Amino acid sequence: MRDMVPVLEARGTRVPSAPFVRFSTLWVQVTGTWCNLQCVHCLNASGPRDPWLKPLCAERVRHAIRESEALGVKDIYFTGGEPFLHREILLLLGFALAAAPTTVLTNGAAISEATIAALASLARDAPYSLEIRVSLDDVDPEGNDRVRGRGAWARAVRTIRRLHAHGLLPIVAATEDPGGEGQVGPGLYGRLRDFLVGLGIDKPRVKILPLFPVGRLASRGGDLLSEEMLDGFDRARLQCAEARVVADGGVYACPILAGLPGARLSAGDLEESFRPAPLSHPGCVTCYETGMTCRNA
Amino acid sequence: MTASVNALHPVAAYRRIAVFGGVYSNALALEATLEDARRREVEAVFCLGDMGGFGPHPDRVFPLLRAGAVLSLQGNYDESLASGRDDCGCGYTDPRDNHFARISYAYTFAHTSAENKAWLGSLPRHRRVQLGGSGVLMCHGSPRGVNEFLWESTTPNGLLRRLFRDHAADVILCTHTGIKWHRALPEGRHLVNVGAIGRPENDGSPRVWYTLLTAGAELEVEFVPVRYDQSMLARQMDAEGLPPEFSETIRTGWWTTCLESLPARERARGRF
Ligand SMILES: [Fe+2]
Repeated sequence: MRDMVPVLEARGTRVPSAPFVRFSTLWVQVTGTWCNLQCVHCLNASGPRDPWLKPLCAERVRHAIRESEALGVKDIYFTGGEPFLHREILLLLGFALAAAPTTVLTNGAAISEATIAALASLARDAPYSLEIRVSLDDVDPEGNDRVRGRGAWARAVRTIRRLHAHGLLPIVAATEDPGGEGQVGPGLYGRLRDFLVGLGIDKPRVKILPLFPVGRLASRGGDLLSEEMLDGFDRARLQCAEARVVADGGVYACPILAGLPGARLSAGDLEESFRPAPLSHPGCVTCYETGMTCRNA
Repeated sequence: MTASVNALHPVAAYRRIAVFGGVYSNALALEATLEDARRREVEAVFCLGDMGGFGPHPDRVFPLLRAGAVLSLQGNYDESLASGRDDCGCGYTDPRDNHFARISYAYTFAHTSAENKAWLGSLPRHRRVQLGGSGVLMCHGSPRGVNEFLWESTTPNGLLRRLFRDHAADVILCTHTGIKWHRALPEGRHLVNVGAIGRPENDGSPRVWYTLLTAGAELEVEFVPVRYDQSMLARQMDAEGLPPEFSETIRTGWWTTCLESLPARERARGRF
């Protein structure tokens, strides 16, 4: 307890919190903020140089998975940074899949044909579903690469095709600005869906995520949540009511908060982190307003 | 075994029961299911909820449920209809799934009588029975959430152990996903998703499924296929102006909507 960081101080009023309802989802911030891309809207300002949040060692990840399985976890998600930069990612995914259905979030830029073949055999042999979620923000290479970096579109699309060819049914995830121009949701959703069908993907899967005023977009951050705003709102619906994130240095309430000062709920023990989470970050407003979930469905 | 869980509240005891879920306004399949179960001499018939949605003429299922003395639970759809909610509470997050869910819910809401909505509102959320030596807990989605999906490929054993312990049950019966499955764990524990009788289970066959449970040295779980006049149902759906995507599923056995909630493994088995 000694090394717990104090909660961000409230602006005059009490910081509201989300109750801890139950433990359903384990997030593993496996590569911290180490990434091969440097997207302008990145939730945790990941990039190729000097990650401010360090990757996890394999034993730390295995420990968290064992602990989660004993606690009755329902699903496990690997994120970063870019998880496929982790040297032991395939072994770790296999370890996770023995315990629970597992999803890995990737930009698709650093996955070789051999890795995809290994993923396919993992998926075939595992007792539970393996989901691979590839980020792609636009059907148009230029629009996508403006956000995600030059060449990102071509590499992601190549990975999507290869995953499909191996029967892995990738979920294509796109970020959309809820305050942005034009139609929210269906517009981008429909375009991506049609695009995937055009690639010959007969089971197109698309997930739209809202843009968060965090990470590289932190300057867009507006208000924080207050007790008054949450009046009458069912806080048990927030994902932090049933998820925890293991990252370097501790356990956090959600992937966006991982590593942020004041957001740590325990120094490493999962069960110790099962307590109300302060909703003290601008990102909490986006979750509250959009009702979004980082889970697949 | 936790047979004594309800020592203070004695529960009904059976040797052989039939259980189904997800009627989805498919009165023709319901009729065929009840007939089949009767022939197999079950002591009681249970429905785990979701009477409406998807199919035509929702009010046609209620007289059949009453005449068949079906012991019913309230599903998420039933709860929404009874409380006048503006959506089905299915828990979809995908825009295309939600588009079709809205059409189906608006139709069902408009065509379910006030009396039947009130009846749906009176149904219990859970039910416990004794089946031989096993304490059985029936629910709609999961014991902890009416719209929690328990798919075979996304329900880990660690979670099941927690559910059996937290809810003091040997056997948990659920529905809500529309695809049946059964897993036995050590010490006589069973999770059975009884599937749905209102919509085929995305296997390319128009038949639907219900479940027979028989007490014995080991609990016996048998999935029973039911055939009915799916062409007639599809014609009724078309005549009611329901989306052709819905009647296509009834005719072919392949899901065309509600696809995004399917995990990778279950999705891979379907056509779309
Ligand atoms: Fe349901």
